[in-house]
Amino acid sequence: MFLGKLFSRNRKEQQVTTRMAEHIDLLCAACTTFHQCLVFDDRRLARQVPQMEREADVIRREIVSAIYAGAFLPYLRPDLCRFVSLVDEVFDLLQETANIFLYRSLPELLKGECIRVALLNLRMCELLRITYESMLEGADLREKQLGLRIYEKKIDDIKYGLIRDMMTIEVDNFWQGRLLGEFVDNLTGISDRIEDASDHLDVLNVSMR
Amino acid sequence: MQLTEFMTTKIEYIEPDATVYDVVEKMVDRRIRSLVVGSPKKNDGHGVITARDVVFKVLAKGIDPSRMRAEELASKPLFCIDQDAKLTDALEMMELHNIARVFVCHEGHIAGVVSMMDIMWAVLILRARGAHVSR
Repeated sequence: MFLGKLFSRNRKEQQVTTRMAEHIDLLCAACTTFHQCLVFDDRRLARQVPQMEREADVIRREIVSAIYAGAFLPYLRPDLCRFVSLVDEVFDLLQETANIFLYRSLPELLKGECIRVALLNLRMCELLRITYESMLEGADLREKQLGLRIYEKKIDDIKYGLIRDMMTIEVDNFWQGRLLGEFVDNLTGISDRIEDASDHLDVLNVSMR
Repeated sequence: MQLTEFMTTKIEYIEPDATVYDVVEKMVDRRIRSLVVGSPKKNDGHGVITARDVVFKVLAKGIDPSRMRAEELASKPLFCIDQDAKLTDALEMMELHNIARVFVCHEGHIAGVVSMMDIMWAVLILRARGAHVSR
């Protein structure tokens, strides 16, 4: 049926869909690394996230080039590229969050909830990967999308608690406060971007019908 | 799926001497439906007050919430489950005792709470991941 079967005999399309899957797999790996870096307070792991982001940039460029070099029908190309860009936006936000972590250690009061958000972000990435696989098979994405929305809602709930706790923390100077605010903002914003990417998978799914 | 993955870890406490009005105020401010009565530093003697308790046991009976102490309204003891327990264990406990939330405890401390909504969400996520869910 859909992308997977539709283009299974065409090498170009096969290569693109495989690279897109690898792109999401790399995102899962980056989220795992970031979660571990928060759990073990390990800055060495935080430094690996920007490396993964650069690797993801290379994959994104390859995918876009392959698509416009003739893979897939022209009407599908912008939507496929948009999906890849949305996944790339998740990488960018994750990288920014990891970079802030290098300069600003987490207050004990926020640590537990931040680790929970990082874990939920990872679970969302895993579900995005499952959703992508389902889209290739032409399956109904409704249940997957709902699962992703639930994760996003859960992170939103944690976000309000984090902001409330953050307001009680004393900071030494303006920049320490600003970095902490940005860290929480970015960390909790990752789920929004993953949800955007998942919504776009639905657009792709519908446009194939 | 472990309970710890979808439980709510942010537990709100209120002192036993606080009034039920204080309880309501905190529920509104924090947008929550239950509060643990007791201190987070203590390991036992905790009770729980839910929005349902406030509505049926206080407001519906015309009792002034500012004249009733939280401790008088709290249900004790808390229904606790081990943090290594499974989703289905929590579900079973809820069904058996006809309760809407189960506290996840670890070494005497409350680590989190799992509500019926959390269970529903967890089941939907498992379905999305392609897992079969049943007891």
